Amino acid sequence: MSLTEVSAVCTDRVILDRWHPISALAETTPVPQRTQLLGAAIAHRRVGDPEPEVWLVDDAETPDAGPPLPVLVRYGYVWTSLGDPIDLFEIPEFDEPDRRRLNAGSIHVATSAPRAVENFLDLGHFPYVHTGLLGAEPHTEVTEYDVDIVDGEIWATRCQFFQPQAAQNASGGQMTQYTYRVPHPYCVLLYKSCAIDPTRRDTIGLFLQATSPETCRAHNFLCMVDEESTDTQLRRFQQLIFGQDKPILENQQPKRLPLDPRVETPIRADKSAITYRRWLTELGVRYAVVPAD
Amino acid sequence: MPTPPDTAWYPVARSDDAPARHIFHGQLLSQELAVWRADDGFVNVWQNRCLHRGVRLTVGDNDGGELVCRYHGWRYANRSGGCTYIPAHPADAPAQTICNTVFPSVERFGLIWTTLGSDGEPPLVDTLEGASEFGLRPLPVNAPADVVLDHLGSYRFAPAGALTGDPAVRVAGIGDASIELVSTADGHESAAVFFVQPVDAARCVIRGVLAATPGEALAIPVLRHHNHRLSVLRDRIESSVVGHPPGASPAPAARADERSVVPADRAGLHHVRVGRRWDEADGIVGFALEPIEGQLPAFQPGAHIDVHLPNGLVRQYSLTNGPGQTRHYLLAVKREPQSSGGSSYLHESLAEGDELHVSAPRNNFPLRRDVTRTLLIAGGIGITPLVSMAHALSHAGLEHELHYFARGPEHLAFATEIDRLSTRLITHLGLSPEATGVALRTMVADPGPDTQIYVCGPGPLIQATRDAAAAAGWPDQAVHFEYFANPTVLDQSSSFEVSLARSALTVSVPAGRTILEVLRDHGIAVPASCQQGACGTCSTRVLEGEPAHQDVYLNDSEHRAGDAMMICVSRSHSDRLVLDI
Amino acid sequence: MLKLYDYELSVNCYKQRLLLGILDVPYEVIPVDFFPGWEHKSEAFAAINPLGHIPVIDDDGYVLRDAHAILVYLASRYDPSGRWYPTSDPQLLGEVAQWLLFAEGTTNTASAARLHDNLGYDFDIEAVRTGAHRLFRVLDEHLWFAERQQRPWVCAASHPTIADLALFPDVVLSEEGGISRIDYPALRRWTDRVKRIPGFSPMPGIFPATPASTG
Repeated sequence: MSLTEVSAVCTDRVILDRWHPISALAETTPVPQRTQLLGAAIAHRRVGDPEPEVWLVDDAETPDAGPPLPVLVRYGYVWTSLGDPIDLFEIPEFDEPDRRRLNAGSIHVATSAPRAVENFLDLGHFPYVHTGLLGAEPHTEVTEYDVDIVDGEIWATRCQFFQPQAAQNASGGQMTQYTYRVPHPYCVLLYKSCAIDPTRRDTIGLFLQATSPETCRAHNFLCMVDEESTDTQLRRFQQLIFGQDKPILENQQPKRLPLDPRVETPIRADKSAITYRRWLTELGVRYAVVPAD
Repeated sequence: MPTPPDTAWYPVARSDDAPARHIFHGQLLSQELAVWRADDGFVNVWQNRCLHRGVRLTVGDNDGGELVCRYHGWRYANRSGGCTYIPAHPADAPAQTICNTVFPSVERFGLIWTTLGSDGEPPLVDTLEGASEFGLRPLPVNAPADVVLDHLGSYRFAPAGALTGDPAVRVAGIGDASIELVSTADGHESAAVFFVQPVDAARCVIRGVLAATPGEALAIPVLRHHNHRLSVLRDRIESSVVGHPPGASPAPAARADERSVVPADRAGLHHVRVGRRWDEADGIVGFALEPIEGQLPAFQPGAHIDVHLPNGLVRQYSLTNGPGQTRHYLLAVKREPQSSGGSSYLHESLAEGDELHVSAPRNNFPLRRDVTRTLLIAGGIGITPLVSMAHALSHAGLEHELHYFARGPEHLAFATEIDRLSTRLITHLGLSPEATGVALRTMVADPGPDTQIYVCGPGPLIQATRDAAAAAGWPDQAVHFEYFANPTVLDQSSSFEVSLARSALTVSVPAGRTILEVLRDHGIAVPASCQQGACGTCSTRVLEGEPAHQDVYLNDSEHRAGDAMMICVSRSHSDRLVLDI
Repeated sequence: MLKLYDYELSVNCYKQRLLLGILDVPYEVIPVDFFPGWEHKSEAFAAINPLGHIPVIDDDGYVLRDAHAILVYLASRYDPSGRWYPTSDPQLLGEVAQWLLFAEGTTNTASAARLHDNLGYDFDIEAVRTGAHRLFRVLDEHLWFAERQQRPWVCAASHPTIADLALFPDVVLSEEGGISRIDYPALRRWTDRVKRIPGFSPMPGIFPATPASTG
């Protein structure tokens, strides 16, 4: 990665005018913490309830002060924006009283945010990357599923895949049902059949903080129906899974997601990824991607 | 000093950098390379990127015959780089166009050479030709190739016989990307050639080769001597270029995308030579067809090729190759008593050294590998695609058994070959049709979960297998079959109209002519191959009307669905058909 | 039962899991919420390890900390063959100690770069990467000459030692710290060999090896 890429500050209005996650609320501290968003140096600190402060570090000599940025606290995370942000998407399950809501770790990844979104949407890699946990050979088939754009969001439904161990508290192999949702260019959620209560679905989210066009920080978000596992166990499983995806993501070339479908070789199983790339093109996203034109 | 062209040949690894079941990570002129040796010894030099999602192939697996991507298990064949299997869609054969970018490779002087261009051969180096060359430890240097080549002119080393002596070193020659030095001391002399491999604009690798192998006791001391001196030189070079920012990358990453190592003529045919011919069993002759130039396109188990015989006939034969056996196409041909010049020509006239043309492999009989058990049922020469499947299933460690029906032991082909696999082979010799039926009903009695049946052989055997499986409750989709010929007696008496939805054309098909023939009369090119309803090439979507199927390619439920037909043989029950053409 | 205070993504915890798996020793994982919980820095954990780091083992009340010390203990205690920590061969034992110290260096450079790049630890990233490359050059050269002498492992023995296991995770995960191994072919071949040790288990970030050719 060259210095010019790191410091390339975003000029993409579609991306600038969005809320972006920068930290779990629980991980903010009274001592300022520096981070990066869309190529810009920013910092945040907790100043008591309810909301932390976020500012642009526009002068390296005075990192602890700078022009203030908008702040939103939602889903246990601190969100900010470098532009004029449109409303953040809703996660209705977050308000269900018996849910376990957990920040499961914010991990830097040396790839673009859209590459991480696309991997999160992908079923076919389970037997190869999450061997014995989310998939196992020879059960490799990705059966047909539906992808639609509903109210400006991507929804992939009727997804299923054979899983030898579907979650931290699951045992034995089963076909697991999934629904995927992309409500934001850099955020993705999945709804997964719940091992404990078949009438409900666990919600797992990946909120990507695009630190630069070719790097991101993945905020792992859990909203589970699970009374038994400890926080530590839930985090351990989620980080195990994400830790297996990470080296794959970091070995993809190019790091920016190519939006021209001819650059890579999509297959039927990639329907949701194909839709995601087209959706980014239609939104006019140019940051952290290789545009089709 | 002239800069060599980006299309020149360079060494990119030592031969022993590519041991079995390893993938060497290399780079040349910014292009990342995955270098791997298949179990047959061939060294592959490929662009280091899976076609699917761009993941580096160097993090994948070299399974001896194929390179497997770590992300989704896509498999790429030894030599051609063609994709042979996409696990997410186990029932489909991957498209022939999914083929990795492959660079030529040559092993010379103990080094693996390649070029990002396409032509010619690695350079001749007189000093090393015919010599007992001795490779030094390669040394990567964080400095541009031309800078390193300049510094190598001042490299000082001692000859092998006088490592502690005070050597005189002279430059014996300078090439575009190499330098030859000769060292003399105490009556000893050593000649060495140092090739400089440009990794990118700011990095290179020094690959030194001595013209003579030192005695056994001296091998390690000589290697250490050079390694030490070259390391000192490297440190000096690297400290001299500190602060020099790397220049622009000299080469785009995907420069060679348009090239192919799989040459075909305009008709898509490949020129091959009979490399070997042998008697496989009574009445069965085996042929190995080698490419005359370049590599043959990839195949999957179950695939066949069209063989264009010098007498003008075209015949289809299944490949019997296992995964990674990509040096040639292997066929086994039975002499048919009523041969109209195909098998009889092959048996009587086709000799080693003869040349002919073949098509790229097509696969109407793809093998699923997402099941826990596979039943292979062969009758006579129908063994050929199943041998290829047995190889693949053994290679993948998947449970399978092969039932082989033949008239007698002298007719069994591939017995020793199958014996080396993990295949459970059960032969059924000299059975009457009734006894065959009993044997088939026994083997398919229990439709196990996650089990698939593949059957190939004479029409009656296939039909009997399908009937027995249907009676035992097997779903149609679990029973796969391939006819060599369509045993149906074709009825061409009907006449009807065909409307072409996309071409806005309606034609009449009279009795005695096929839809395909009539379309061709009207200048409409529809791909077709066997023209007997067996190969599936001319499969066409039916939008309206009721097709009268006469093919053997589609299964019964597909026939009932009526939304696709083989226009080379099938006709119409309704007065009019609307096709998606 | 032997208890291991463990974090899934920790290189130093993985070294213990790797050896325990190879020696087939049953053990109980006590998960520590290292990140983002910083449980190892908690007051409660200070009673287990006042230095506030993991791994720590508790073997029936015998508590031991520090990754390479634990490897020495586990191999001495649970490997009856005496090959993983060869106390009966003075020269070999010296080599093992030398490379264990070297592994402290790879941990403090390559694995520090990984903590910086993954979790945002505050290290001088260029300095630790440069340091890792310096050590990798030495190790690659060592392993290249070892191969020439038909020695597959870091120490001059026909069997791997805990030195291989102490070095392996720092090396094989280096790319997560932005340290490419493209210049170290002998190092890459050695990581394949380590992955083929019977009982080997990977951790997230480490891909399994293709089985060696059986033919």
